Amino acid sequence: MQEATFLILTSLAESSQHGYGIINDVAEISGGRVRLRAGTLYTALDRLRMDGLVEVDREEVVEGRLRRYYQLTPSGTKLLAAEAARLHANATAAMRRLNPLGVVT
Amino acid sequence: MNSSASLERGYRRLLAFYPRAFRRENEEEILAVLLATAHRDQRRPGVAISADLIRSGLLMRLRPTVPHSARTVRAAVTLIYLAALAELAAVITIVATSTAVLAYVHRTAPADSHLAALSLTKDEIAGPIGIVLLLWLAWAVGRRHDWARVVFIIFWGISTLSIIAALSEGAPVAAPADFATGMLVWLLQLAAVVLIFAKQSAPYYRHGSEPAERLTA
Repeated sequence: MQEATFLILTSLAESSQHGYGIINDVAEISGGRVRLRAGTLYTALDRLRMDGLVEVDREEVVEGRLRRYYQLTPSGTKLLAAEAARLHANATAAMRRLNPLGVVT
Repeated sequence: MNSSASLERGYRRLLAFYPRAFRRENEEEILAVLLATAHRDQRRPGVAISADLIRSGLLMRLRPTVPHSARTVRAAVTLIYLAALAELAAVITIVATSTAVLAYVHRTAPADSHLAALSLTKDEIAGPIGIVLLLWLAWAVGRRHDWARVVFIIFWGISTLSIIAALSEGAPVAAPADFATGMLVWLLQLAAVVLIFAKQSAPYYRHGSEPAERLTA
């Protein structure tokens, strides 16, 4: 799974979000390292919807503009949990091996 | 015209790179996000945003629209695109080797020279048509059009007849490179036929235009 996809799914893990909210949340989760652009975000969301990992929760109109809220589907939640567990296991293994070298504090 | 209207017009122009169906559903929403992330008094889309919209729009036009769950159909669509690429290689090979092939036929069977020239011209015309048809079929097969599967197998049947005709004309000896690329196209098509008619592909076409989520549920 690409990092941007992982971060988008993570931003939807707690509650549904609209596009602008996802962009801000992804920036926050990644410590400002990943700044999604609208084109990239909506291409990813379209693919995630097509794969049944994300769905539209609700729509509203704010200041005359459409705002669509996205949420994880049960498949999306399951996939994110599996990917997070995989990354966690890899990171734990890396830390365990780096610790004796004194590289990690 | 104020800066907001000018910026909106600029974004709309860039969003035209996306497929029409996607724009119909998402343009207003993306526009709202683009305007929300723009700087105050910004009049034109920035270079990075423009590049991102153009890249994403083109990517969306080119990528298969088949969900990951329909693995066999995804693989078939990729193979049909590869067959189109191989067909392009075949056309280039035919054009590049035509002089040598005609010289060989003239040397070994002068009576067949006219027939060989006709056959090469036919292939040079049929090749580009084949490429266009393959691209169109890849598009249609990926968009769950059941008729596209039938058209594709008919297309593959015609390719099979063409390969048999080439074999009977001695193409493997007279034009080995042309025949090899033709065989590659045929094999890619055969693999695609097997995949789109596999049992696992059937639900993708049975669901017609229902949302992809249902397939993965």
